[in-house]
Amino acid sequence: MSKQQVVTIKGTKDGLILRLDDQCAYSDLLEELGKKAQDPGLEGAVEVQIHTGSRYCSDQAAKEIIQIVQSAGHLRVSKIQSDVITMEECNRRVQEQQSETYIGIVRSGQEVHAKGDLVVIGDVNPNGHVSAAGSIYILGRLKGKAHAGNAGNREAVIAASWLEATHLMIADQMETMTDELAILSEHPEMECAYLHTNGFIAIDRLQDLRLLRPGLSTFKGGS
Amino acid sequence: MGEAIVITSGKGGVGKTTSSANLGTALALQGKKVCLVDTDIGLRNLDVILGLENRIIYDLVDVIEGRCRIQQALVKDKRFEDRLFLLPAAQTTDKNAVTPEQMKDLITELKRDYDYILIDCPAGIEQGYKNAVADRAIVVTTPEISAVRDADRIIGLLEAEDIEPPKLIINRIRRNLINSGDTLDVNDITSHLSIDLLGIVLDDENVISSSNKGEPVVMDPNNPAALGYRNIARRILGESVPLMSVDTGKPGFFGKLKSLFSK
Repeated sequence: MSKQQVVTIKGTKDGLILRLDDQCAYSDLLEELGKKAQDPGLEGAVEVQIHTGSRYCSDQAAKEIIQIVQSAGHLRVSKIQSDVITMEECNRRVQEQQSETYIGIVRSGQEVHAKGDLVVIGDVNPNGHVSAAGSIYILGRLKGKAHAGNAGNREAVIAASWLEATHLMIADQMETMTDELAILSEHPEMECAYLHTNGFIAIDRLQDLRLLRPGLSTFKGGS
Repeated sequence: MGEAIVITSGKGGVGKTTSSANLGTALALQGKKVCLVDTDIGLRNLDVILGLENRIIYDLVDVIEGRCRIQQALVKDKRFEDRLFLLPAAQTTDKNAVTPEQMKDLITELKRDYDYILIDCPAGIEQGYKNAVADRAIVVTTPEISAVRDADRIIGLLEAEDIEPPKLIINRIRRNLINSGDTLDVNDITSHLSIDLLGIVLDDENVISSSNKGEPVVMDPNNPAALGYRNIARRILGESVPLMSVDTGKPGFFGKLKSLFSK
């Protein structure tokens, strides 16, 4: 049986792509990868992407592959791409994309957490606490504490029909609203808080959100 | 089968005990059979306000621990024939003397004989179990921001229980402060707490003086605070009574004229 190539190198305008066969044994793959990486035909520092096809690549395997490819010294792995993910990873991603809805009033001493975005239909009263890994949208008065992007997402925003919060937090940035509260209560229009490029939390009209965070839109279709 | 109503608040001193005594009396005046249960063990004073202090022989803890029968511990208010009874709290022990199950059994037994069982709770949140034994809850607050915040906390805890949504009583409303805009008004409070308003009670000096005499103020039909409590009692009975106006306003033209001549 003629030995089939399990590692194919393909050149694109974005750089080299190492396409790894997803049917062969993992040990064969590593062996050939080692040989290809030492290929004297390659010169200078080259960025490569690795595509593993339908082979699931655990974190440890990915590290091993990167190590072998980079061992020769002139290849640098920019990313590893795979067509498959675990159920666990998939569920996690779905959860992060989802928005959870809470209907009711978040009263003093109560806490509401969401793994993705959070929509609250009702008020958040003083000493009530809402937090989400994604953005927080409140149809009602926000008079308590809100923490958006609590896992570090700096793109997250906090929007409310009435923004009169005592504390606003986005990712690791916190703002106590002592001075702003008087100004905000004079402008009861819908507002949103976001992390400004200067690193501080800024508050703007809700209508400006489409310019500030166009990436938040997940809507497809329409005209 | 009667109905058990728990009367609670977060903050102390807003008038839970006074409200319990007055609502109980008002319901008895309406011809209902009422039992008031004081659960503020260790700091009882519902008996004092009703003027029944020196008639207590047994108390709630005696009943729970089987030292007497319920009937022996109940103190009858002779002003209302057979319609108003008090189950006093123990003064010698503390709040932890009664478990939720014991309380539930006791209330179930009382419900057989009475139309309404009003449970006067201690202030604070740690005895939330007493809320669970009731069919519905009344939250008492005053128009102060601290009392309203604590009421919000209590309402949150009550909403998590398996009982009807709580109703609100705003106690000690001061007309002059509301008219001058120096205090929260009724609308501010109800929109902040967003629960149904059961009624409002105006602040009146006679509430204190009559409590000291052991006669709930509601027995005086001409008192403004008494009117508030009577209206609340009628709403508990299912009547629809319009909310009384806080705003007495400034005297009108004829009022001014009258006061001019009466000088």
